[in-house]
Amino acid sequence: MNKVININFQGRILPIEEQAYEILKQYIESLRVYFANEEGRDEIINDIECRIAELCEDRLKKGTVCIAASDIDLIITSIGRPADFEAQDGFEQNTYQNTSGNNNSNFYRDGNRPKRLYRDEQNKVLGGVCSGIANYFVIEPWIVRILWFFLIGINILAYLILWIAVPSTSVKVVGGVRKRLFRDIDKKVIGGVAAGLSKYFGIQVWIVRILFLIPFIRFVVNFRHMHLFQFWDAPDFPNFLDITFSPGAVFVYIVLWLVLPEAKTSADKLEMVGEKVDLNSIKNTIQNDMEGFSKRAQSWGSDLYNRNKGTNNSNEANASNQSTENHRSTEKRKGLLYYIGRIFTLSIKVFVYFILAIVGISLLAALFGIGVAATALLPLKNFILDDGAQTWSVIGAILLFVWVPIIGIVTAVIRKFAGLKKANVWVRSSFIALWVLGWVCIFYFGSSLGNSFSRHNLPAEQSIALTNPTINYVEITAAPKMKYYENNWFQFEPFQGFADEDTVYVRNLRIRIVQSKTDSFEVKIVKLSNGKTVQNANELANKINFELTQQDSLVYLDRGIGINKIDKFRNQHIIMTIAVPIGKRIKITNKGWSQTNININGRGMRTGTIDRISSDENWFDEWNEPWDNESYQYERGVEYKMTKDGLVSLSPMEADDLRSDDSKKMDDENLDKEIQLQKLKEEREAIKNDIKKLKEEELQKEKIKVVKVNEFKKDDIGSSNLEKMNQIGKAAGKLSDLQWVLDRFTH
Amino acid sequence: MDIQNTQSQMRKGVLEFCILSIIQQGEVYPSDIVEKMKLANLHILEGTLYPLLTRLKNAGLLNYRWVESISGPPRKYFVMTEEGKVAFGVLLQTWKEMATAVDQLTQVKIIIANNIEQAVS
Repeated sequence: MNKVININFQGRILPIEEQAYEILKQYIESLRVYFANEEGRDEIINDIECRIAELCEDRLKKGTVCIAASDIDLIITSIGRPADFEAQDGFEQNTYQNTSGNNNSNFYRDGNRPKRLYRDEQNKVLGGVCSGIANYFVIEPWIVRILWFFLIGINILAYLILWIAVPSTSVKVVGGVRKRLFRDIDKKVIGGVAAGLSKYFGIQVWIVRILFLIPFIRFVVNFRHMHLFQFWDAPDFPNFLDITFSPGAVFVYIVLWLVLPEAKTSADKLEMVGEKVDLNSIKNTIQNDMEGFSKRAQSWGSDLYNRNKGTNNSNEANASNQSTENHRSTEKRKGLLYYIGRIFTLSIKVFVYFILAIVGISLLAALFGIGVAATALLPLKNFILDDGAQTWSVIGAILLFVWVPIIGIVTAVIRKFAGLKKANVWVRSSFIALWVLGWVCIFYFGSSLGNSFSRHNLPAEQSIALTNPTINYVEITAAPKMKYYENNWFQFEPFQGFADEDTVYVRNLRIRIVQSKTDSFEVKIVKLSNGKTVQNANELANKINFELTQQDSLVYLDRGIGINKIDKFRNQHIIMTIAVPIGKRIKITNKGWSQTNININGRGMRTGTIDRISSDENWFDEWNEPWDNESYQYERGVEYKMTKDGLVSLSPMEADDLRSDDSKKMDDENLDKEIQLQKLKEEREAIKNDIKKLKEEELQKEKIKVVKVNEFKKDDIGSSNLEKMNQIGKAAGKLSDLQWVLDRFTH
Repeated sequence: MDIQNTQSQMRKGVLEFCILSIIQQGEVYPSDIVEKMKLANLHILEGTLYPLLTRLKNAGLLNYRWVESISGPPRKYFVMTEEGKVAFGVLLQTWKEMATAVDQLTQVKIIIANNIEQAVS
């Protein structure tokens, strides 16, 4: 049972079976492909279509009810298929080249012609470079291949260059069937991408498959974890090229799967194998395009020139021809205006597209960055998120909200560039559906996370006893073994000790400095936390373990607030109040904890904290004040003295003088520095003497430089010793920070 | 030596000439050309004929005319232009020379072969 449809074919109404119609369509499509580079392509196809229509009508006149598939087959056989054309006649000019190409494959072995390097099309694995070299030196190809394999890494680039530069033994077919990349569904394993690629490049399927599989093999063997983004860190070539063999291959596969159409019809399959494509022919295509472009530009330019000339000529025209010439000149002027207008609109178009492209690319890059960062931070989820819905929603949000649009946009762009049709409705709508699901995930995640942070604990003040509270000077610093660096790169401040897998240490601490009513230092802390319920928040706050250790004048802070997978991060933080007696000094070093708070809800978080504290009536009224009140008005790394009116900063010189009374340690250091100073002074004297002796010599200038340098050094060490140390510390900190980020990426 | 290739090249050289000689006899419809060639035992597919005709037309050797048919839309009939006639004359001349040359050469070979046979016997 076959459906019969009526078609209007070259001015004839033909009843035709649907199946036959499909065959006819495919046949004409294959002709279109075959004659793609023929000058009068449309005319030829039109003629052939006319003839087919005529033959069909003949058949109908003979009494057939409708055109069946068998009829179409007969007609097609009488006219001939593209494959028949090539086999039977050799009208196509390329057959000449084809035949000579076939002969080429052997001629360099005969030694009749001068020896030249060719890529061997017959014995190739990838591009035929190795076998070509083997032929050139008259050795076995496998020897070259093994040598090549041992050099893998540096020679990939060389291979690509040879592939492009060295001609193939099969001379390029000009005007043959255009080749297009398809997914080969006949030989598919997953999506037929590898099979399609192998057809396109004319290589074995298993090679493509192995290239796709390498990352998994390497991943399992733990050979070296390759990253798609590694080249940002290490821009060396082998790593850069490794992008093809990285987990990015999965990404590439998915994108290709979505982008490439299936080779359904026979015309598709013809195109899939089509003309031999390698890098050389791609290069040729581009070259031809460029040449064509310059030609067009030239002809356009001369056209414009002629038009201009035309207008000038018409002005000098004879009176007799005046009227006609005038007419013509206005016509030409119109043309000129038209061209100017077109240039104008074109340039505006280009400009608009340019802006749009920049906006689009930056959006895509931002999205990509978010995706990468979110994916990289995913291991942290155990420390923040509840198990179950919250975790799943964040994974869903990352995958669907961030990665799905990236893949979608990349796919669309590639399709656009490849000149393919838009993806079908189902693909597009499923993309949109996934993205909407991503929105749902992100909203659910946001609200549920907000909920987890919604309540605060009831604050309680605790005193911490210092071993020796009556000293004159206190310096708050980080524990000596603890590595803490100011992190300016990624603001993941709460997670400094992220490397420790079971527990991360959050360093949220605010230090207030207030006046003490007694003559000894007092330290009080308030532990604060958020949570789903007040009870939950209280529990978490109680679990905060915070200790101080005092060594002479140095007070060391604890490692941080421990966060583990059970006691998750709920903005645990500590407010430490140090009461300084009048006349005594304090310094908060740069090495201390971070003093920034995470503001999950912007300012809302802060006001919440303050409200809660003010509602507790036992507490000082000053807590009601804004956070930027006086008790926080100090700089880190600067020494302060408590007076009746509040804190007064001391200059480094003053501080040094005062400190010399406090600790011998400092004295020793100063002594060392003085000795160094003395030495430098002596050196300078010596050099001065030298200069006097060498004044007449030409080296004089250089010596003066040395003196200058030495003077500079001396001054530096003499006055702002400490500042310099701090700077060095900062620089080292930044360096290690970078190292840390690097490490994180490579892990 | 690929005999098929040589054959197809020989045929290609002659085909254009054959088609021109058919059209030279008068206005003709493409399928008639195929028929006439079939009678002369030269097989050509319509799929290869049409591109060839278009090429010759674009080269200025041929021209076409729409002729009303009894049924259906008008059909395309090909005629030879003056330029085409000149070109045909040149080709004819070349063909005659070639034919005599080839005949002479092949006959010589046959004579030699006969001689050898006689000598052997």
